[in-house]
Amino acid sequence: MAVAPEQLIYEGTRIPSPTPSVLQVPEDLRASEDILNINFGPNHPSTHGVLRLVVDLHGEEVVGLAAVVGYLHTGFEKNMEQKSWWKAITYAPRIDYLAFQNNELVFVLAVEKLLGLEVPGRATWMRMLLAELNRIHSHLVWLGTAALEIGAISMFWYCFRERDRILDLFELVAGARMHTRYFQVGGLAEDIPPGFFGECAKFVELMPKAIDDYEGLVDRNPIWLERTKSLGLLSADDAIALGQSGPVLRGSGVDWDLRRAQPYLTYDQVDFRVPVYQEGDVWARYRVRMEEMRESVRIVDQALRRMPDGPWIADDRKVVLPPREELHTSMESLIYHFKIVTEGFRVPEGEVYTAVESPRGELGCYVVSDGGPKPWRVKFRAPSFVALQATATCMSGALIADMIAIVGSLDTLMGEVDR
Amino acid sequence: MAIENGRLRDHGLQSERLLWPTKGPGVFEQEVAALEQAVGLTTLEKAVAWAQTKSMWPDTFGLACCAIEMMSIVSPRYDIARFGMEAFRSSPRQADLLIVSGRVVHKMAAPLRQVYDQMLEPKWVIAMGACASSGGMFNNYTTLQGVDKIVAVDIHVPGCPPRPEALIEGIVRLHEKVMAGVPPAYEIRGVAS
Amino acid sequence: MVEVRETHGETTLVVDTPRIVEAARHLRDELGFNFLSDVTATDYLGWGAKSVSGYIGTPTGRDLNKPSTQGYQRLPQPKPRRFSVSYHLLGLRAGAPRVRLQAWIDDGETVPTLVGVWPTADWHEREAWDMMGIRFDGHPNLSRILMEDDWEGHPLRKDYPIGGEPVRFSGEE
Repeated sequence: MAVAPEQLIYEGTRIPSPTPSVLQVPEDLRASEDILNINFGPNHPSTHGVLRLVVDLHGEEVVGLAAVVGYLHTGFEKNMEQKSWWKAITYAPRIDYLAFQNNELVFVLAVEKLLGLEVPGRATWMRMLLAELNRIHSHLVWLGTAALEIGAISMFWYCFRERDRILDLFELVAGARMHTRYFQVGGLAEDIPPGFFGECAKFVELMPKAIDDYEGLVDRNPIWLERTKSLGLLSADDAIALGQSGPVLRGSGVDWDLRRAQPYLTYDQVDFRVPVYQEGDVWARYRVRMEEMRESVRIVDQALRRMPDGPWIADDRKVVLPPREELHTSMESLIYHFKIVTEGFRVPEGEVYTAVESPRGELGCYVVSDGGPKPWRVKFRAPSFVALQATATCMSGALIADMIAIVGSLDTLMGEVDR
Repeated sequence: MAIENGRLRDHGLQSERLLWPTKGPGVFEQEVAALEQAVGLTTLEKAVAWAQTKSMWPDTFGLACCAIEMMSIVSPRYDIARFGMEAFRSSPRQADLLIVSGRVVHKMAAPLRQVYDQMLEPKWVIAMGACASSGGMFNNYTTLQGVDKIVAVDIHVPGCPPRPEALIEGIVRLHEKVMAGVPPAYEIRGVAS
Repeated sequence: MVEVRETHGETTLVVDTPRIVEAARHLRDELGFNFLSDVTATDYLGWGAKSVSGYIGTPTGRDLNKPSTQGYQRLPQPKPRRFSVSYHLLGLRAGAPRVRLQAWIDDGETVPTLVGVWPTADWHEREAWDMMGIRFDGHPNLSRILMEDDWEGHPLRKDYPIGGEPVRFSGEE
């Protein structure tokens, strides 16, 4: 399943040394006077947020590259240590702000693992449905902005048309377009409103035709192919050594998807393909994401059909608020409600690492609890943080215009990188 | 009183009064009307203000989640091309409006101020979202508690993130302020621009 | 190898800090954990010192016989040293085996770098240095990554304040 593709993308390794994430100007060029050191500053339209790239240019060719991050470091982890477990969930979606519910999902899964809590079927299926909608949303924004940067400007409007439909669905189910905070420890915060399934079914109908539209725009366009094929090559071994995951890894020929290999939620009960491409270039990653969108639509379709009825949150009163009707009749429920709302529930001592397949790769959450009402340490393993390290390797022999395409294809999101 | 036959109505009010004809003037309109009377623009200035409003180009200063909602006002549904603003300029020299969308951290404060300084007068700033207005939910060692600590802000748009309609409402109110003759925030506060 | 722990379905291997590179190579080459997911540093200053039990309990734990307890009356287990550096490893094969390699150090001690074993550890270790102040021996470029270059202090330590400003309300005097 893992490594060993038939044809190698390139021989050996291209990871720069000594520092794997910094491309150093070669000695002979450094002596000559032709190197121009340019700063692609934090405020740049094409760098997907506040990324700073310090590049050394020899003519048009990029011979040195170093990425400077930290322009969006918001101190999430320290803030989450100050809040109770319930309130900390609010911080999570703002880390990866394009696939926001994936962050909530991974944090909530980690806390549930520590608690040993069983989540009811309806909540699990709905979580999977929303995670896949998030994947489509993230890929749509990626496609729109990456194409915009390469020059296919009209793609932006096409993608955002569908993206607004997905945000409508989120608004329908949770009340807010983004950062819904709909996942709760134990299940979902509220039951799924009526009318959601109908709207979602309509979306599932129209989405494949929309993906056909996008492919019709760029798939066979010679300019697109020139600008994306054979650029940003990353071999499978290098990708694994650099810790890449998600479409970057699958575009390099490694068949690895956490939904398949380590099924969480109910991914083992739905039927979907995992696209893998062998070329390891920008075009391969683009194709992987397009096909992932199609597969996500299929998963959403299956989840819609098979959504079970039942409770939407677990029944454990120590962790989950009791239903309001009970508060009038039962003294224990009132006490539990009071304890959970004021002090917060307690999570037993321990440490866990949970990982899900976010649209960017393996999103992991390492949670340490001391048995109290607040987290002791929360660390989010952001796939974009790791993907940015690979820019130096992908950039060998690239021109400055290719750099934009390559950084775009790695799909980095600075909120994740800097946390 | 200036409100009945004042300039706000003359120029086609885009705010809630259009949709709610029986509503009296709100606090915003009263304040702006008072300023209008005090400022008293000439016809040339009114024309200039009209021109500034109808094609106020924003700068690409998307930082975090609010940037995604800022991108969606360019999207076909919440089109701001109707207001002449879909041309997001990458160079601050060509931009009139700086929509600070997202959390500003201390490391980013210097580039933000540099971009603001590079913009040419007249320039306006919209602090979009809770993080830009006041630090949002991040009251910690690294987040600037409100971008108005380093730049002079005209309009604060609340929300986390604000809906595209909310951002457009903020932009429209900015237009109304400009047309009423309200000077940009750096002039009102008397700070360097 | 110092200790093996299995909790919540996860295996944690605690190793002696100076021999961590050996352990890492063994895990990568012999046992096939070729993917380093994450390097996390945790600060355990004050672990178990404050009363975990909240307003009713005491630092020594809660009594099951007293009313209104929630049953989690275990005191948190004391930790050997102040900092733990956890390396989360993954094997890219069927079954997705995961393991956590952990090293414990005190303030001022250093950990040998794993950049030679998994190049992806580069930025993770830089972040651990920036946020927690843990030095990694042999790291090619141990500089601040998330904070400014001239920032003083290591923000995620427990003795570093959360910072920020007190919120002022408009009606207050």
